[in-house]
Amino acid sequence: MTADMSVAIGGLQLRGPVMAASGTFGYGTEVPLLERRALAAMVSKGIFLRPREGTAPPRIVETPGGMLNAIGLQGPGVEALIRDYAPRWAEWDFPVLVNINGESASEYGELAAQLDGVPGVAGFEINISCPNVEQGGLYFGNDPHAAAAVTEAVRKRTKLPVWVKLTPMVSDIGIIARAVESAGADALCAINTFVGMSIDLNAYRPRLSFRTGGLSGPAIRPLAVNLAHQAARAVRIPVIGVGGITRSEDALEFLVAGCAAVQVGTATFVNPKAIADVHDGIAAFLESRGFNALGELPRYLPRD
Amino acid sequence: MFLLDAPITGRRQVARGMFVLAMHAPEIAGAVRAGQFVNLGWSPGPLLRRPFSVYGSEGEHIEVVLKAVGAGTSELLAMEVGDRISCLGPLGRGFDLTGGPKTVALVSGGLGVAPMPLAARDAMAAGLHVTWVHGARAAAELCAEAHGDVVVWATDDGSQGVQGTAVTAAPDADLVLACGPNRMLAAVAERWPQAQVAVETYMGCGTGVCLGCAVPLRRGGYDRACKEGPVYRAAEIDWSSLPSHLPYAVGA
Repeated sequence: MTADMSVAIGGLQLRGPVMAASGTFGYGTEVPLLERRALAAMVSKGIFLRPREGTAPPRIVETPGGMLNAIGLQGPGVEALIRDYAPRWAEWDFPVLVNINGESASEYGELAAQLDGVPGVAGFEINISCPNVEQGGLYFGNDPHAAAAVTEAVRKRTKLPVWVKLTPMVSDIGIIARAVESAGADALCAINTFVGMSIDLNAYRPRLSFRTGGLSGPAIRPLAVNLAHQAARAVRIPVIGVGGITRSEDALEFLVAGCAAVQVGTATFVNPKAIADVHDGIAAFLESRGFNALGELPRYLPRD
Repeated sequence: MFLLDAPITGRRQVARGMFVLAMHAPEIAGAVRAGQFVNLGWSPGPLLRRPFSVYGSEGEHIEVVLKAVGAGTSELLAMEVGDRISCLGPLGRGFDLTGGPKTVALVSGGLGVAPMPLAARDAMAAGLHVTWVHGARAAAELCAEAHGDVVVWATDDGSQGVQGTAVTAAPDADLVLACGPNRMLAAVAERWPQAQVAVETYMGCGTGVCLGCAVPLRRGGYDRACKEGPVYRAAEIDWSSLPSHLPYAVGA
């Protein structure tokens, strides 16, 4: 018998626990080899109100067990997204959440307002790892007040599910997690990439033209499992684990550590079928251990 | 686009340190066009796949050409016949031979020879007069395999053929297809703005989702070497912003 893999997260009923992470699946139109049956949901590439060119190359560099990227949130802007992509999402049999970005809390709110009610848009994932231009470029995600302000600005403008993607670059992720929970988030995604740097010893300068980039891939997985676990202990809303998941065992670590679901990102670059492989592996694990449903998986989640 | 576990079926040396690897990849062999590439992964290997232009394609086999330039390519070259390579492709947009040219010059430097055998095959099949121009630093580094009606060699040190670069040694032609270091392709753009060039970039996924392989365009903005490229009109590219040296940075 096949285990029931469905999960309910922050207002959405999903057919499985494995989603595509933002920035690793484009707008869902470019990964033809994946069997979509396994895809529980997709989070779009991050979008701003206006189009963005992105950063100069080199934009990516491989590091041990991982990669650094500085794409610069290249994107077509919200109008083009509504025109070119949302109509296609409306025909798909899994929900699409839009990863939203801004330079001020009001920009996030404006984006949510423009996307609210657009057929094909099932919810929002707030990327709070953006610099707050109105406050000297401090990152929203590093400050519980700014993180809460952004969440609230979005919450006020939409009835759709609002998820917040947390940055790992904080001293206590629980403080930020509680702040955005109080501000009305329906779920949390933990975590975004770590900021890293790699130096070219021939040129005596950083390999990435942007100097720093976000580190992803298997190298960050133990860090991510811990931070997702810390976030899950701190809040009552569901936490979606993300960071370095390549195989089903990796995803199961996040699930046991207290996550309700997971996102697969960098692994899709390497294996376009990674999401299906992870989904099928989780199902096989549940069956081999005699569980009838994902909900029966034991969780390690002592409450603080 | 196909994803295959392709067994290695052969390896041969074509220049000092330069090898051709053949793989059994029937679906890809049947679909690939000149200038397209495959993204190869192997285990144990680096995290990301590595892009290679398809060098040869015959029957159910494809070939790639490589040098040991880093840890990844050294691992590939240490593999044996029968070992399997995960092969994703064909990817990207290849050369366009339409428009009625009568003559074509295939201009390559070093490993830039990679897409040229398929280009020569397709051009000859289309009835074009093919001039093959291949350059390297020295005779020992020239790829020994050449195709076409006329073959021109160029070496920096004059040890074989014309002394100088492939770009200076090449004749004009109705159509110029070029591949090599990005510095060389910038010189191609100076001489033949309408040439089609296959560029090399850092690449993440190869399928258009990661936006890592950004190619700066003269009209502004970027597009993706893996999707809109890797073949461009030379004049479209902002050569001053395209990185010219691409050492992969695998440290482990």
